[in-house]
Amino acid sequence: MKLKSKAVGLANSVLPVLLAFIIGGIIMIAIGENPFETYGILLGKSLLTTKGFLTTLHYASPLILTGLAIAITFKANIFNMGVEGQMLLGAFFSGIVGAYIPLQMNSILAKIICLTVGVLCGAIFAMVPAILKAYFKVNEMVVTLMLNYAVIKVLEFLATGVFRDLSSGYVSTPTIQQNAMFSRLGSSRITAFFFIAIAAYVVMYFVMNKSKLGYETTAIGKNLDFAEATGMRVHRKILILMAISGALSGLAGAGYMMSDQFKFSLSFSGNPGLGWDGMLIALLGAHSPTGVLIAAVFYAALKTGADNINLYSTVPKEIVTVIQGLIILFLAVKFLHEHTPMTEKLKTFFSKIKISKNREAQ
Amino acid sequence: MNMLGSILYDTVYHSAPIILCVIGGIFAYKANVLNIALEGMMLIGAFVSTLTAYFTHSILLGVLFAVIASSLFGLVFSFFGVTCKGNVIITGLAINLLASAIAGFILIQMKTSNITLSYLNVADLQIKIPFIKDIPLLGKIISGHPIITYISFLGIFLMWLLMYKTKFGIYVRVVGENEDAAKSIGLKTDFYKYAAVMIGAVCCGLAGADLSTERLGLFTNSMTAGRGFIAIAAIYCGSGSPVKSALFAILFGLARSLSVNLSIYAGPASGLFDIIPYIMMVCVLTFVSVLKYKNSKLRGFKYE
Repeated sequence: MKLKSKAVGLANSVLPVLLAFIIGGIIMIAIGENPFETYGILLGKSLLTTKGFLTTLHYASPLILTGLAIAITFKANIFNMGVEGQMLLGAFFSGIVGAYIPLQMNSILAKIICLTVGVLCGAIFAMVPAILKAYFKVNEMVVTLMLNYAVIKVLEFLATGVFRDLSSGYVSTPTIQQNAMFSRLGSSRITAFFFIAIAAYVVMYFVMNKSKLGYETTAIGKNLDFAEATGMRVHRKILILMAISGALSGLAGAGYMMSDQFKFSLSFSGNPGLGWDGMLIALLGAHSPTGVLIAAVFYAALKTGADNINLYSTVPKEIVTVIQGLIILFLAVKFLHEHTPMTEKLKTFFSKIKISKNREAQ
Repeated sequence: MNMLGSILYDTVYHSAPIILCVIGGIFAYKANVLNIALEGMMLIGAFVSTLTAYFTHSILLGVLFAVIASSLFGLVFSFFGVTCKGNVIITGLAINLLASAIAGFILIQMKTSNITLSYLNVADLQIKIPFIKDIPLLGKIISGHPIITYISFLGIFLMWLLMYKTKFGIYVRVVGENEDAAKSIGLKTDFYKYAAVMIGAVCCGLAGADLSTERLGLFTNSMTAGRGFIAIAAIYCGSGSPVKSALFAILFGLARSLSVNLSIYAGPASGLFDIIPYIMMVCVLTFVSVLKYKNSKLRGFKYE
């Protein structure tokens, strides 16, 4: 029985992806390209070659964290849309601290300081919507969305004004010091940050599946009134969950800063942004940590693959964004229900066809 | 005096698209389908209107196609959200993402980063109302807006009429308040939900056309800048009443106009003024929420 519900869950994640790929293929045919070739480039290079796969894992690291950040709040039916803002804030300040720490500082200590700053920034910023939600019943979704725009504007202002690196040709903050950078392992792109992300995954796996907090999260998500009536302190749980979410987002930003970007520019998070990607990943992984891990790797493969499409074919890489939107759209609908007896459903489906055929015959 | 005039003129100017989104979103809100796809519908409206106007040189066709495009998005949204009973918030986010993705994709195919209607002089689209335009101050504020701006302010009244004085409006509210009751008296609940979403889609299409073609003659991706979400915030603040919510939309327009007008004097700090509208919305939401629940003895989050 448990196996079956897992299979249904898997099908619910795989079907939307397939559907989105099919529609993406149709679009490619419409603009006169070969979809099979494009998909071959998209996934082949980033998943099937060792170097490509390590690059994929490198890009998956921040996505695992943002995915987990969203998964833990969505599981409790708290819509923390501010992951993008929290991530950017964490990245920005860890970058600033990283740029101004003394060069002779112990490199491990420097990294720990930068990561801590990122985590704290994310968590503290997430407290604003959490307190408003818990004590003033303000809708957290609207607040987090508004704060996203606000924080992007503030960071833009800081990056173009106070903290601008004047020697750089475009708007960016100074590059972080050598001792705050994660160095690459061997010739691959992968850095120690990936293992930090994996460690975060392991911790979150136990928190969400084995701890009291995890069970309470599920209970709040399923029925808030019930959870409250059984005596859970829902207010406090909201604060804790948002803090965890913010901390994970901040960590994602700080790590991405220290392992890939090294300075904050206006296109730091790309389009549509690591936080938004995290939402797709959380949905794709059905809010479970292991699901998030797999989905993040898959999604990072799409992302690195998108660059390969641009290099090796004439299809614009924006097609991947379209496919991403389609995946989310299809993910909103549960195609199969956990308790649907599949065989019976097929039977009724075929009998309906038979009836309609009989009617036509008559 | 001059400053006051331009602040108030800009208030009207910036309120218009948000008011349209608000009155569009209200019906969905009342039908208990939270439509956060307003942003995406507005963006696709803005994009299609500029695209059509670019190729056909006709503003009217542009507006028409904007409404058609956003209605299509509305259909997709209600198909997934209502017929398939999917999660409306996720569907809405998907629509938002999809709108900007489609716009971006087509822009890349056209090998540009934005569409500019070079033949169009937007000043020609502004309507100078006779007589009123000669009144000092007031004339300056009220006259000289493009037509959709006037439609949006008229729309507040129309929506109030539609929601409270017609059978349709009552049925929509019944569906939102108690779906089982609505079903038991034989209302087709899905139909009313579809209709509510579609009204929103049409309004958002208009808002998009206003934002891009009519006001600026230009489209850039992500030009809606969260106006759809601000509209949702305004709806929450006004707890779904058309007039109250529209007032909050105007309040936002005022914040926006203040940030634009004051930033001229601010010098290097002018970038910071852009955050005024967003921060203000959060403060207003909190304030309204505190007032609303001050005397409530209910525990938990039941009446959010």
